[in-house]
Amino acid sequence: MIASVPSATLLGVTGQPVTVEVHSGVGVPGFQIVGSPDSSCRESRDRVRAALLSSGLAWPNRRITVNLAPSGVRKNGAGLDLAIAIALLVADDQLPAEAVEKYAFVGELGLDGTLRGMPGVAPMVACRPDRIAVVPADAFEQATAIGAVDVRCAYNLLEVVSALAGAPWPDPPPPAVCDDHLRVPDLADVRGQPDARLALELAATGGHHLMLVGPPGAGKTMLAQRLPGLLPSLDAVAALEATMVHSAAGVLMPGGGVVRHPVFRAPHHSSSMIAIVGGGSSLLRPGEASLAHGGVLFLDELGEFPAHVLDALRQPLEEGVVRVSRASSTATLPARFQMVAATNPCPCGGGAPGECECDQAARMKYLRRISGPFLDRFDLRVSVSAARVDDLLGRELGESTAVVRDRVLAARALAEQRSGKLNASLTADELEVFAPLDHAAESLVRREFEAGRLTGRGLHRVRRVARTLADLRGIEAGTAAVAIDAETLTMALQLRVTFGSSARVRVP
Amino acid sequence: MTALPEQAYAASLAGFDLMSVHRLWALLRHHRPAEAFAVASGEAPPVPGGLVARVLADDRVRAAWRNSARRRQPERVWQRCLALGVEVSVLGDPTHPVLLARDPQPPPVLFSQGDRSLLDGRRVAVVGTRNATAAGRHLARTFGNGLAREGVHVVSGLARGIDGQAHAGVFQAVTAGAAGRPIAVVASGHDVEYPSEHGPLWRRVASDGLLLSEWPPGAVPAPYRFPQRNRLVASLSEIVVVVESRERGGSLITAQMAAERGIPVMAVPGSALSRAAAGVNALLRDGSAPVVDVCDVMVALGLDHTRSSAAMIDAADGRVRPRPTDVAAYRVCAVKASTVGDVAEAIGCPLIEAAMALARLEQGGWLAHVDGWFEVVGSPFPCS
Repeated sequence: MIASVPSATLLGVTGQPVTVEVHSGVGVPGFQIVGSPDSSCRESRDRVRAALLSSGLAWPNRRITVNLAPSGVRKNGAGLDLAIAIALLVADDQLPAEAVEKYAFVGELGLDGTLRGMPGVAPMVACRPDRIAVVPADAFEQATAIGAVDVRCAYNLLEVVSALAGAPWPDPPPPAVCDDHLRVPDLADVRGQPDARLALELAATGGHHLMLVGPPGAGKTMLAQRLPGLLPSLDAVAALEATMVHSAAGVLMPGGGVVRHPVFRAPHHSSSMIAIVGGGSSLLRPGEASLAHGGVLFLDELGEFPAHVLDALRQPLEEGVVRVSRASSTATLPARFQMVAATNPCPCGGGAPGECECDQAARMKYLRRISGPFLDRFDLRVSVSAARVDDLLGRELGESTAVVRDRVLAARALAEQRSGKLNASLTADELEVFAPLDHAAESLVRREFEAGRLTGRGLHRVRRVARTLADLRGIEAGTAAVAIDAETLTMALQLRVTFGSSARVRVP
Repeated sequence: MTALPEQAYAASLAGFDLMSVHRLWALLRHHRPAEAFAVASGEAPPVPGGLVARVLADDRVRAAWRNSARRRQPERVWQRCLALGVEVSVLGDPTHPVLLARDPQPPPVLFSQGDRSLLDGRRVAVVGTRNATAAGRHLARTFGNGLAREGVHVVSGLARGIDGQAHAGVFQAVTAGAAGRPIAVVASGHDVEYPSEHGPLWRRVASDGLLLSEWPPGAVPAPYRFPQRNRLVASLSEIVVVVESRERGGSLITAQMAAERGIPVMAVPGSALSRAAAGVNALLRDGSAPVVDVCDVMVALGLDHTRSSAAMIDAADGRVRPRPTDVAAYRVCAVKASTVGDVAEAIGCPLIEAAMALARLEQGGWLAHVDGWFEVVGSPFPCS
């Protein structure tokens, strides 16, 4: 007797439909799984057998072959356990074939028959939109996060079997309370440091990548952590993509369910390239760059990251996706994130010129570890000085996240309305139209060029930041600034510091 | 083979491993260079009881020298010197500079590239830390430029920071037609440009000035060579000016060498709070003469130089006086290098106003913007 039951497996962040076929026939009793299973998939034989027996169901004493179709796709993980068990019961006539035909099954089995959730339930369910999905109860929230699919859940195998036989489906667990947005730290905690605060506000408004350079204890990490709070909530598409990534990576989704707010990911500098951009031999697990999709990727101690890891980020920075290819499979992982980097100015931590203990060569070597093209991605590069004691003793709080966020949202709306995108992604041609320079600003640019402090590419970057700054200033003043004046441009220039310029000697 | 001059053997010996000034001097005092080479490579006996005999009793030295003799064949070293245009002078040769021959520790062999007649002119060393502030580099350039304009040659070590900037300043003046030239003493062979970013400067000193070394082409800048190099910088100069130095550093070795030789040391005073000025302030405390501009050096050289009044300096400065509104920002940076945010906080104005003030001050030449920090450069604006 033959049964076939739909299920799914995971590749990257997308579900791959898999049909589980079971043939139960005469011959020497045995159990075999074919169709490119990986080891955890092959082990499901023992889990399924134990689960059936401990649930009081009969184990057919026949020759059983399980085929996972399409057999060319490599299957991984234990998510096919439930589908195999159900198909086996159908093949053994313990369940009627009609009872299962509306459903798709995803879930891992425990030896006692309990159903367990596993990474990737959301994308797996999403790839079977035509069926009613049956998932473990603890993955119910993940599975329903995507919205479009009808989902049932159960706590153990026996509940599934009885529900298929006509009993009502068990109630889903109560949804977790979602308060993650309230836990984002507030900008009011940052005292003083007006330039770093402005840079943060500009980054939130224009989508510019931000680099903070300063001695330890200057508050670089503190500033970076406050960026997600300034950003708007994710739109429906980005929220869905972010949810898929979190589900596929098996990372606990903040507050359970859908990722609605920008996340903050801060991988340690010892992370491998695979951990950052994603990959692995068969699973193609999403990396930190993908987990930060729609949110902020914070690279603390930028200089300590291996150069090849940073350079691997250049593609996602450019295209918003990571394409990982292996001999057997290829996956495209979403990775549109905003990058914030922090670094000390030199190995000793340094500070203002003349304060540090490192010699020029050591300073240069430290900053040179970050490749020029990578450094170039940062529109905003700001020196952060150590907090002053007056600020720490706290006369007054800084502006709060709520106040700044209103300004940011208004300026973002303005940019969207003007050019249909954030200022950071304006092209050179669009800059001519949307960010014209007034006369004084133009002569300032000419002067900077002649002094060798500005390059053509640098000018574009500065203009984008200046556009964002002009928008913010316009909102504060209640006027819409069209052209960029010299003041705005000067400020933008000072927020794009060229590090390591001090070592140059010009021979006349 | 027969045409190989004696200097070729001396040039080869100078590059031996475990060779020191004393050992080389002892070898060349007792033997002609060709014999000395034979002695050092173990093919001839040393003078019994002498320093060389004692040194050669050490197996390690004997092995190192025999090995060096194989690797540094005089013909090859000589060919390299000829190809580079490097002249080799052995102590006692008529070409060996009298100035150095009189030194308590004269260089036994000297390699030079460029115009040796510069040593007959007036010479002032401008040295300082490699890890200089923008203010220090600016000052070094100003000294180099000013001295060269007065026809004084500037001696330095071509290191990063102050040394390089001093010579860059000399070339600014040379381009403008000044008579002063750079004299550099380096701690490696003439073809081993170190630090590499000074390559263009190095080559220009060799062609338009004088580039000296105690080591043959191919010698690497080993750490022990720098103090030796500093002794020559001191020895070649009439005055040593230390622009900026930390509590310990190569420039203080130069100053000490100069003091041992009775050469006046002058130091540029810095803030008592600044680490970058700790070394120079220590020199001043120990009795070095303070120096704030080129006039001071010229007076110390005994050259007839009319001391300009403060008003004339201001006029000669050529910088436009900062606007009264910008003086507050200038004053903040004068106390300590500051970021835009520091300045805005200190004077309590909006960030953009601070940015504009700083940009105007930088444009006017009063401040330098380095790695996000603004530092005061040039002679200070009297703002108190």
